[in-house]
Amino acid sequence: MQSQIKQTLNAIILTEDLGKAVVTSEGTLHILSSIDLIINPGESIAIIGESGSGKSTLISLLAGLDTPSSGSIKLKGKSLTEMNEDGRAALRNELIGFVFQSFQLLQGLTALENVMLPLELRGDKNAKAVATALLNRVGLGQRLSHTPKQLSGGEQQRVALARAFATKPAILFADEPTGNLDSKTGETIINLLFELNRENQTTLILVTHDPILAARCQRTIRIDAGRIV
Amino acid sequence: MSRFNLALRLLWRDSRSGELTILILALIIAVTSSTAIALFSDRLQRTMVNQAAEFLAADLVIDCSTSIAADWLTKATQFGLLQAQTVEFPSVLIEHDELLLSAIKAVSEHYPLRGLLKATRTEDYMSETTLHAGPERGSAWVEKRILSALKLKIGDSLIVGEKPLTISHVLTYEPDKKANFYSFSPRVMINEADLAATHSIQPGSHAHYFFQFSGEPQAILDFKQWLKPQLNPSQHLLDIHEDRPELGAALLRAERYLGLSSILVILISGVAIAMATRRYTERHFNATALLRCLGCQQQEILWLYSSQFVVLGALASALGCVLGWFAQEVLFQLLKDLLPQQLVSPSFGAVLFGFTIGIVVLLAFAMPPLLRLKQVSPLRVLRRDLEPLPASAWLVYSLSIGVIGLLIWRYTADIKMTTTILGVGLSVLLMLWLLTYGLLKLLRKWLPSMNLTWRFALQSLLRNTSTTISQILAFGLTLAAMTLSFTVRTDLIDNWQQQLPDNAPNHFALNIFPEQQAAYQSDLQQHAIKGSQFYPVVRGRLVEINHLPVQQFVSKDSQGENATHRELSLTWTKELPEENKIVAGTWWSHEQAANFVSIEKKLAESLKIKLGDLLSFTIGSQPVNATVSSIRELRWDTMKPNFYMIFSPGTLDAYPSVYITSFYLPDTQKDLLNSLVKKYPSTTILEVDLILKQVKTLLMQLTQAINYLLYFALMAGFTVLFAAVYATLDNRIYEGALMRTFGANRSFLRTTQWLEFGMLGFISGVFAVIVSEATTFFLYTHWMAMDYHFSLWIVITIPLIGALFVGAAGFLGVRQVLNKPPLRVLREL
Repeated sequence: MQSQIKQTLNAIILTEDLGKAVVTSEGTLHILSSIDLIINPGESIAIIGESGSGKSTLISLLAGLDTPSSGSIKLKGKSLTEMNEDGRAALRNELIGFVFQSFQLLQGLTALENVMLPLELRGDKNAKAVATALLNRVGLGQRLSHTPKQLSGGEQQRVALARAFATKPAILFADEPTGNLDSKTGETIINLLFELNRENQTTLILVTHDPILAARCQRTIRIDAGRIV
Repeated sequence: MSRFNLALRLLWRDSRSGELTILILALIIAVTSSTAIALFSDRLQRTMVNQAAEFLAADLVIDCSTSIAADWLTKATQFGLLQAQTVEFPSVLIEHDELLLSAIKAVSEHYPLRGLLKATRTEDYMSETTLHAGPERGSAWVEKRILSALKLKIGDSLIVGEKPLTISHVLTYEPDKKANFYSFSPRVMINEADLAATHSIQPGSHAHYFFQFSGEPQAILDFKQWLKPQLNPSQHLLDIHEDRPELGAALLRAERYLGLSSILVILISGVAIAMATRRYTERHFNATALLRCLGCQQQEILWLYSSQFVVLGALASALGCVLGWFAQEVLFQLLKDLLPQQLVSPSFGAVLFGFTIGIVVLLAFAMPPLLRLKQVSPLRVLRRDLEPLPASAWLVYSLSIGVIGLLIWRYTADIKMTTTILGVGLSVLLMLWLLTYGLLKLLRKWLPSMNLTWRFALQSLLRNTSTTISQILAFGLTLAAMTLSFTVRTDLIDNWQQQLPDNAPNHFALNIFPEQQAAYQSDLQQHAIKGSQFYPVVRGRLVEINHLPVQQFVSKDSQGENATHRELSLTWTKELPEENKIVAGTWWSHEQAANFVSIEKKLAESLKIKLGDLLSFTIGSQPVNATVSSIRELRWDTMKPNFYMIFSPGTLDAYPSVYITSFYLPDTQKDLLNSLVKKYPSTTILEVDLILKQVKTLLMQLTQAINYLLYFALMAGFTVLFAAVYATLDNRIYEGALMRTFGANRSFLRTTQWLEFGMLGFISGVFAVIVSEATTFFLYTHWMAMDYHFSLWIVITIPLIGALFVGAAGFLGVRQVLNKPPLRVLREL
């Protein structure tokens, strides 16, 4: 009991009875129900499940991109559910990094500018130096001024990785990061992701279909029909 | 790095990648045209008003029969106005046993305040020079008729009243010579300093004083406003709009056309800006979602984009101002042969106006779609289907309507008219919205029975009804603005040409005795000179209306007051004169008894005279009564004899009359005048050809200027229409590429695209016709005092032009779908 309380106090992500429902013409549809999660700092978690099982909804709630219908979420002790949209945005900037399946780079910006973006939003004066170092770290030191259109899929995802770690987030959400890549490139990206995760001691929440990739995480959470199974 | 730097960088990247091209283009067009039009019309108006002011020799004149209070002149000085005075009076000159009634004009220092005098010192009159001031003290300038009639030459002495003066110049042109029938005595111009010595002005003398003022427009206006309440009934204020209606009306209409063009170009550009921003916004949903995901708050998003737009607006507006400046310079260069030599310099205010317009139009038309970005959910990074709610219709329309309303108000300076125009405009838009909605519903019903090509073409239009309706309204509005610009300009020019056709009479012959009339008429006919009807004239004064003194009916400064203060030219005729129109009552039939009178409409209104009223006149000392049997509308600017009062034949038979006519005499037949004067020495010929030429030149200049403005509006319209079509293409390109991957061949796609855009253009064209015809009707009847004519030509051509142009623009825009591999198209989007 005491260890559970301690664990709860230390948790970087804590959800209680989290649920998401939408009202459709055919009645209320429960996408997620009774999700209780305790995720500790530095932990790597894989969320797996079939398409439509509610994985993406869970990650969007945890990252404060969407609001739950019931229950609560705390990130680093701060109640996400009690914040308004701007409060959640500030928290995202402070705590969270993202890696998406479709990379989500700004097409008009160069690789360097894309990585600088979250730092600039924070008002970081060393944005350029930090971004350059990170791009060197992911092997794109020679491609700083290239725009996303001039980069391959793998290279774009490396830029996205560099961007995700630029602000040294406490939590990194990765939504199918290899979904748009071939298996070899995907593997390289995943290796890089785990290396960076280790170096930065980030909490990693990874959504994937891939059991091999899930196995590389410390813990796996399986979602089925909106519930943890 | 600050948020502002980030905004600048995003702006730079967007502009480099072509995201902002349409927006920038639309904005530059709006600013260039509004700056060019503002600068051009401001310069032209001021030049024209200056030139027109030449006809008064001042900006403002007080016309009175005695001198005015000294403190008025002091007040004028306080307003910073320059002053001059002239005194005009008739005087009989006697030299070499010859008598001649002449019109003396004593002019002060600074006369003429506007325009120039022309005179010559040689006998051959060839070496005419322009002069900035009138005669020096002790000298007189005379019209050449004085020299021949009194057997004098330059250098001789001429006694005016009791003062001998030396004839130093032959006067060939004075700017403020009045073209009325009663100022036909030859002119002698003297210095005001010699006036007292002539002893011609005694108490009760028939003299006219003209106190003339010139200065800054605002000062003139202020002075005029200060002065007006203090004028007594015998003092009249003259300015270009009031004193010379034929010029005033032309100028006023031209000014209004310039204003209208400006509003239309801004409206066209506004539509394009709104459409381009909508596209910009939609293309930035994903980027915005990412920024939100990375922690940007809603206000920061708004700030990030609006600051980009403000910078963009400032840059595009600055560029537009420069281009506008060049455009108006080019315009003036093109028109330099037509325009007066002395152009006023461009005003900085007009440039500032253009710049402000740029920013205001951008914000008004771009803000509503831009505000949608604030609403983008960060969840869109995971779910691309999430779109922010469209900006509220209230916001979209109130902002743009507000700006257009302000512009209309600026040009009309009439809040009632502005609200009426806006009200009518909004009702028409609402009606069109409902009509389009109904039409699309109807098309949806017919859809299943159509063949595949038509079905595909129409499906694109029907899929998103609200987008299609807004596109149709946008294209319709643009086409309507262009149509309006074209029709108003064409009608305006036609109207002017009708007003002063090439062979408009340019000479009046007065004082033709009844026994000379037939011979005079046949002399004119012999020389193939086209003249107006000969009208008998009896001079008489209106004294009573229904046995009540006429003074009871007049209000100060009214037309009625002017007409009752002097003798009127009374005439009679069997037939209704050309260009007169009966608006009440009937014209007399041949067998009708005498003692009926037909009265001019405005005078009737001013004196509150109705049909059946009994009017009493005195002719000499004899009373004459007549019953009002009709009220006529007529145009005073036709250069033909016109009359306030026309009597039924027989009514005035007992009174001595003389005849009057007008005729057109080309320059080549000018010699004929001498022979006419010799043959009929008692008659007077009034030459108005010079004044007519001035008026014609002015109208020609305005016509040219207006033509260029039309080209500008049309060019802007076509460019913007093209750009606006482009702004709607993303979805269509995407669908086209998908269709190709499913195996649709190029000719099928080509046909459906032509059909789709052609339909869009056609429907927009139909609506443009409705809007433009309704607006033209309103403008003509309420604002420009012109006759409205329904034009079948417009009804047929505009929808076809719409179909052709929007069809072509759309087709060209999506042609990449046909020429590029579909996968590449899909990837690029």
